[in-house]
Amino acid sequence: MSGIRLPIELAAASSVAIAAILVLPHVLELFALINATVYVSLAVLALSLALVWGFGGILCFGQAAFFGLGGYSYAVAAINFGDTTYAVPVAIAVPALVAAALGYVMFYGRISDVYMGAITLTLTLILFNFVNSTAGDQWRVGAAPLGGFNGIPSTPPLNLPGDPGNPLPPEWIFAIAVVSLLICYILAKLILRARFGRVIVAIRENERRAELLGYDVRAYKLGIFVIGGAMAGLSGLLFANCVFVSPTMFSLFYSGQIIIWVMVGGLGTLVGPVIGAILLNLLTTWAGTLPEINPSLILGAILVLAVLVMPRGMLPSLATVLGRFRGAGGVT
Amino acid sequence: MTALLATEHLTMRFGGVVAVDDVSLTVADGELRCLIGPNGAGKSTLFKCLTGQIKPSAGRILWRGQDITGLDSFEIARLGVGIKTQVPSLFDGLTVLESVRLALRRQARERAARAQALATLERLGIVELAPRLVALLAHGQRQLVELAMVVAPEPDLIILDEPTAGMSAEETTRAARVIRALNAAHAIIVVEHDMQFIRAIAKTVTVLHQGRVLVEDDVASVLADRRVQDVYLGKADATPLRRCASASPKVHQ
Repeated sequence: MSGIRLPIELAAASSVAIAAILVLPHVLELFALINATVYVSLAVLALSLALVWGFGGILCFGQAAFFGLGGYSYAVAAINFGDTTYAVPVAIAVPALVAAALGYVMFYGRISDVYMGAITLTLTLILFNFVNSTAGDQWRVGAAPLGGFNGIPSTPPLNLPGDPGNPLPPEWIFAIAVVSLLICYILAKLILRARFGRVIVAIRENERRAELLGYDVRAYKLGIFVIGGAMAGLSGLLFANCVFVSPTMFSLFYSGQIIIWVMVGGLGTLVGPVIGAILLNLLTTWAGTLPEINPSLILGAILVLAVLVMPRGMLPSLATVLGRFRGAGGVT
Repeated sequence: MTALLATEHLTMRFGGVVAVDDVSLTVADGELRCLIGPNGAGKSTLFKCLTGQIKPSAGRILWRGQDITGLDSFEIARLGVGIKTQVPSLFDGLTVLESVRLALRRQARERAARAQALATLERLGIVELAPRLVALLAHGQRQLVELAMVVAPEPDLIILDEPTAGMSAEETTRAARVIRALNAAHAIIVVEHDMQFIRAIAKTVTVLHQGRVLVEDDVASVLADRRVQDVYLGKADATPLRRCASASPKVHQ
């Protein structure tokens, strides 16, 4: 809570982001740079769950649904508008609205945590199956065919605002992804520091007590859930810019992975899940190049090890070890 | 003058069981009221109705004459009701100061809120606990921290559910002193079954039995009342009265 820590943390995060933008495009080959952009977009996704689960205490299996919705909304809007300028707010607004509707039903209906997990997971599966079955010409939104299993390979890359003739090169997209991650991180930090965020943490600690103090718990939970949905949507947009949108964005593979990134990185921290997402994706990609070994097997082994060795996640464990040397507090 | 809090024919049924049966009581501004009764008398159910944790099956709850039946806990808290639960309900992962700060919901200005939170801790004699993590506190300290959260926003009414649960005799005496001191500034309803404690603090006592109001009178009359003794003695558990009788022989001549 000390006054100087926040500026230092924000300055450090900004430095890392600027360094990444300045250095990586020059040292990485195009393919690796696009991969790096994918990792950064997934880091935004991890950050969204870090906020919703790690601080809001809402274990949401549906983050992949908002991620996919963001990607698809972006692709469909960009194709229809013929310009990506207004597709960006659409990609953030659609998942946020869906999160608001779903969150309203869950929180105001006082649905318990277990069912909340089931509901969010079901939403993801429904969307996955639905989008998968949209092959054929009758499934189109305006000019954009949904493409079923194949997704929308013609997902247009971002262009300069108002200038559709000028699609941005991968270096720019990478920079935009990094800046988006930085903005989301700063936003999350500020939210948690503000009254709203402090109440959110209090609700995570003891919902009943927060209510007895006069806080409308439902509204706070809905608020953080919508913010998380919007952030996941942004992540889907960035992802769509490196690859293209396809039903796998809604798959169990992603729903499960996000949870692993957050757990391994450190539940209740913001930087942890970001690092967790990037490291685990690097590792999965590397494991994919190994002959004879299934990358999922390695990922599974890492998860089991992480839970056994560092039950609180990478970052808190690291902070504890460092703290023994310096007598310092935790990291968020 | 309208009562601070009143119930009119309040009834709570769970299937065939009537846990609270046609209870009408009024609590005035500044009053200290005890709600007692043996196990299963309906005390906890009544507490849950009053604090908005469950909605009564019938009857009304009035706050300064206004119908507040069916309001949620947070809405009842916002009226100016501080609620302390039987098992301390705390924010384990936060510091004591932050916890009390959160209790000052209406105080948006950070510096003022901090000062007010510290003043509350000072008042309860636990200001040195301010930077400590709640999870690391001892049981008695946890009780006091919860009390600090309850009294910090200066509620008009405080409802305490079995505040002496799990306390030693010495701690109980101290708790009685604290509650009497709080009564100088707040109306208080205490839900209890420890008779000794009741004797130490109460002015007016409402005795519940099988969901109904059995007696409502000052503490001496209630303790001398034959029906109350029967209720407490009647079944297997006679301890509360014996303990109380030895402590106050005058009442049971």
